[in-house]
Amino acid sequence: MSTQPITPLPALPPMGRSVRAYFAPVDRVHRVPTLFDPSVNGRFASNAPPAPWLDLGWIENFTRKSTSRFGELITGSPGTTQFQVRETVDASVSFRFKAWSKLSMALAAGSQHMNLLVPAAGGTANGSGSKGVPAVNLTSGSNATFLAMAASDAAGFAAGSLLTVDVDYAGQTGFVGSGVCAAYVSSAASVNSDPDYIRRVSFNVARVASSNATGLQLSQALIAGVPAAGMRVQPISGFVDREGGSFFQEWSALFVIDGEQGERILFHYPRLQAMAGAAESVTALASPLERIALSAAFRALAVTDANDGERVVCFRSYLPAAATLI
Amino acid sequence: MQNAKDTFYIALRSRLASVNPARTMTLRGVTRPAILVSEAEAPMAQPLLDAFALSWTGLEADVQLPAILAQMTCEIQYATAGTKANAGLDRGRTLEEMDCEVFHLLYPYSTQKMNYTTTPATPMETFVFWSEPEFGPAVALRDGLSRTVKVTVFAFQEQGEA
Repeated sequence: MSTQPITPLPALPPMGRSVRAYFAPVDRVHRVPTLFDPSVNGRFASNAPPAPWLDLGWIENFTRKSTSRFGELITGSPGTTQFQVRETVDASVSFRFKAWSKLSMALAAGSQHMNLLVPAAGGTANGSGSKGVPAVNLTSGSNATFLAMAASDAAGFAAGSLLTVDVDYAGQTGFVGSGVCAAYVSSAASVNSDPDYIRRVSFNVARVASSNATGLQLSQALIAGVPAAGMRVQPISGFVDREGGSFFQEWSALFVIDGEQGERILFHYPRLQAMAGAAESVTALASPLERIALSAAFRALAVTDANDGERVVCFRSYLPAAATLI
Repeated sequence: MQNAKDTFYIALRSRLASVNPARTMTLRGVTRPAILVSEAEAPMAQPLLDAFALSWTGLEADVQLPAILAQMTCEIQYATAGTKANAGLDRGRTLEEMDCEVFHLLYPYSTQKMNYTTTPATPMETFVFWSEPEFGPAVALRDGLSRTVKVTVFAFQEQGEA
């Protein structure tokens, strides 16, 4: 058997237009990040990342910074450097999200990110939203894009409305939230034993596409997939985050630059934690119109590479263009 | 560089046939998608209406790379006087249709370089790629409107290429 020969090209400088960001949840309870294997999925279609990666779209001002410190071992007189050692391994990454969404806001804010529950009548005003209207129950037959419920409950959700789907808070402590660890509860008292607390911080949110007597069709799949037993639904009107808070968002991240000759550069950070509070940056369009982007900055945390046991914070992969010399 | 220019033109022509199959012209007795390369046609006294005309203007080259990177400016000019059925009063709308088609013709912003001097055409090893369109102002032209869009087209020179 023979194959057609190729005419190899010299290695060419990568040229790309922009960086695309993908994030995946970290299992905070078991401290397990989502690992991206470039040897298996490196060439995935940019519009269809492999599960459970979520496409956050094009980002701007992407900047990676190594802040690892190196030390030297000096011997002799006069002293000369004989060896180098890595004293610390540290890295940060920063960029701007062009689009605002539940996920991009939460990542940029860094701390707990809350859903604004549609308020119940007569509630006490509060900066992150007051008590919500009562949650409604799901019935059997729900899936990631359809919420089955009684006709009288479905009538309360108009097409286009937003909702959150999660379990009641029932006194548990630790990480809470379905699909994504959304917050850490230190005690029931700290969240006033509020049965809506988990729905308030949950990432399991969606927009209603249509409503009928059997339930709600969703415009997007729920991040936690098929609703589990005990999950209930509440309407929300938007999102809120805060400067402050004790919780740190932690996500696995993947940044991809597609080169013009078919090459691809991937930066994989298995564990990123926010290292800055909520901030925005603006780009002038036509005064006074401005485009408002979410500024985000993260510190990379270490994982162990199973191939050699090394502790590392980031993986950079390069998939060369066809026919170029390597 | 001629391969890159040919590739860019053929890519846009193929995309136009798909984006708007009804936009055709009859030139030298042949009906084809309404896009042409000015330097490859007889000089015209005035622009062909409702067609796209490509003109190659600027040229730069970066020779400090493993392969020469050519950077060529292509101006895409188009004009319309609207439709007879509407007595030309829809010329703004027809210009907007052509503006929209330009977006579709140019995206995605790259295509594999081809050698069209062989039959059949042979694929080359690199891709031709280009910038996002830079739209000039709409200009009144007698009873019509015209616009020029600038695109910078990039291509690596491959071994043996003229």
